Amino acid sequence: MAAGVAAWLPFARAAAIGWMPVASAPMPTLPADNRQKQEGLIAINVSGHKFQTWRNTLERYPDTLLGSTEREFFYHEETNEYFFDRDPDIFRHILNFYRTGKLHYPRQECISAYDEELAFFGIIPEIIGDCCYEEYKDRRRENQERIQDDEDSENQNEMVPPDMTFRETMWRAFENPHTSTMALVFYYVTGFFIAVSVMANVVETVPCGTLPNRVKEVSCGERYALAFFCLDTACVMIFTVEYLLRLMAAPSRWNFIKSVMSVIDVVAIMPYYIGLVMTDNEDVSGAFVTLRVFRVFRIFKFSRHSAGLRILGYTLKSCASELGFLLFSLTMAIIIFATVMFYAEKGSTASKFTSIPAAFWYTIVTMTTLGYGDMVPKTIVGKIVGSVCSLSGVLVIALPVPVIVSNFSRIYHQSQRAEKRRAQKASKAAGQALVCKANPMFDTHHNHLLHCLEKTTNHEFVDEQAFETSLLEVSMVKQASCSSSMSSSSSNQGLSCCSRRNKRKNFNVPNCNMTGGHRNSIQELSTIHIRERHIANSRSNLNAKFEETVPLNCEHPYITAAVITLPTPPVTTPEEDASFLDYSQANIVRVSAL
Amino acid sequence: MVLEGMELIAIIVVIGLFFVVFKQFGVWEPLLLDESSDCELELSAVRYQPEGLEQLQSQTKFTRKELQSLYRGFKNECPSGLVDEETFKTIYSQFFPQGDATTYAHFLFNAFDMDRNGAIRFEDFVIGLSVLLRGSDTEKLRWAFNLYDINKDGYITKEEMLAIMTSIYDMMGRYTSPSVRDDDPSEHVEKFFQKMDRNRDGVVTIDEFIETCKKDENIMASMQLFENVI
Repeated sequence: MAAGVAAWLPFARAAAIGWMPVASAPMPTLPADNRQKQEGLIAINVSGHKFQTWRNTLERYPDTLLGSTEREFFYHEETNEYFFDRDPDIFRHILNFYRTGKLHYPRQECISAYDEELAFFGIIPEIIGDCCYEEYKDRRRENQERIQDDEDSENQNEMVPPDMTFRETMWRAFENPHTSTMALVFYYVTGFFIAVSVMANVVETVPCGTLPNRVKEVSCGERYALAFFCLDTACVMIFTVEYLLRLMAAPSRWNFIKSVMSVIDVVAIMPYYIGLVMTDNEDVSGAFVTLRVFRVFRIFKFSRHSAGLRILGYTLKSCASELGFLLFSLTMAIIIFATVMFYAEKGSTASKFTSIPAAFWYTIVTMTTLGYGDMVPKTIVGKIVGSVCSLSGVLVIALPVPVIVSNFSRIYHQSQRAEKRRAQKASKAAGQALVCKANPMFDTHHNHLLHCLEKTTNHEFVDEQAFETSLLEVSMVKQASCSSSMSSSSSNQGLSCCSRRNKRKNFNVPNCNMTGGHRNSIQELSTIHIRERHIANSRSNLNAKFEETVPLNCEHPYITAAVITLPTPPVTTPEEDASFLDYSQANIVRVSAL
Repeated sequence: MVLEGMELIAIIVVIGLFFVVFKQFGVWEPLLLDESSDCELELSAVRYQPEGLEQLQSQTKFTRKELQSLYRGFKNECPSGLVDEETFKTIYSQFFPQGDATTYAHFLFNAFDMDRNGAIRFEDFVIGLSVLLRGSDTEKLRWAFNLYDINKDGYITKEEMLAIMTSIYDMMGRYTSPSVRDDDPSEHVEKFFQKMDRNRDGVVTIDEFIETCKKDENIMASMQLFENVI
């Protein structure tokens, strides 16, 4: 029941006196009401902004921070108020939730800041009122996509395992031409030859003047047949070599063969080979000529070179349902109008509308407002029908187009944003390095703590490369990237203070999934809280486990360590490598065994 | 001739299109009765302020603090200062989700709305509550009588009582144990009248009512039940 209705309960109970005289049985006794009703004001100070409200207002929602005894932790005796060191602007909305029962999302606030505040005060975002829920969900989705993009690009750029095979290097070179100069050269050469080949196909058909012993004009292709043939051969050879190289380098050959680009490649070079095989057989050379049409598919090879083309293709794919609807409604309309037209024009003499399918052409031309004029209605009914047809055509086509346009725009902007963010990463990294030098005492204490741990467990933190080389010596398994940054804590401490909220990747549990697809487990494991008292034990366990079992891990994709999430007050605990505090689970101890 | 007929049809189509266009531009509204235009002047422009605290204090038996607390809750729920019958029914129905509380809420509304203007003001609300929670037994019984006497003529007839009883049983809903049979309300009414109607004249007057109730211990005990609600 809403808080508002609860305010009417005393009234409803009082009105129950109306039942008393007609009651057939004695009334039950009252439940004991031990709760003393304090009708008092509570003062809340949020970063200097004073808020005040009735105690009852806050107690309406006893499972949130402000409504339960948890707020006593924030009581400040000297000033006799509750002090929170949080954002006052967002707190305003949270307090309004208590007052009105509805949580609103302010459009100008950042979605992650808002989420954090909600999590801190123990309010679940699902109760956001209907008025703001759409906006909230949209912003959240955008944010998630952005985070996902960041992760993807990070993973792409940073995974340089030192010992990729030649095959993997080649594949990477094909997919990301920017990685090496050879790849770039290859990229430009293939692009050039695609353009040359398409141009040759086009120019081949242009009339080139007459041969001395003929009357008719011949096309350039026939006049300079040999030159064009050589050009075609060269292009096809390049394309074939490229295709074979890609096939060889692909990590999964079957997937590669099934992919669209590979099909386009095959279709582009097949006509040549078929032509080679069939030139001596005159009967099928006619069919061969039609096959040359498929050479134009080479132009689609450009989509590897152009992001815009890929986006267009992706948009069309994602708007498939709208396009399908457009097609369906157009077909319906065409059939209806063609039928009516046919029967309307049946009576007139020398009518071009000889059959309903013949009328299809007229209907399509009219609905798309082309109006060639090769078929026109002559009767009045026909003309009326024709005009209705063209009007409805305009409407039907105009309807799904904005949906497709907005889809394209959204996807295009997303890719633009990804590009921009990549460009900005350099300056961002520099900025963060600046910010993180703010607290030298923190670093000192943190280092001291890590040293204590080292002494306790009699192990030492080593840095990444040293660990790797030692691992390579231990086992010749190729997934040596298991080591990663569990041991890179010493070197990364400068980043960990500010990485608390920003980056999530500081703690990468060594599981050998760098080339696999188990990134989700890394994300889950990245929320690790460890209380100070237990650090020695848990850390030594983790340490020992990792060091002992890392060789094992390199064979199995799952870690057998148990991850324990414990609540900590968010301010003071120096976490070693844990970088992402889990505010929302403040009162729950979660043990996840992965 | 056929051609002329077709031309006629074309002309009719064109004229029809003209009408549609006119209606679209609002130039010509032939048969539309304008019910929609006076809906703009709604109760949103009406706001009601209650009488002062002192006056309410003298009219009711609540303390100043209690009145303040009551008004804050009331104003929170009904910022316009008035509760109309629909809102009242909605609120009351939320306490009885299993059954249909609208009929009883209607009777209750009439009992609170003393000046019969279709809306409960804060004064009505608080005076009613004062009687229910702080009034003497006689006052409470008088209030109950007023509730049962639907047409406020000073007599409770069997029909009125049956209506009240049916509405109370409606609040129970269908899922009860034992389930409510159709003649349960009328049986209950019969029992009530047998107890209350002294002179067997088919109606219950206020004196009969108060006298009988005061003699019944159960009823008197239950009257004191909700005294500490506020």
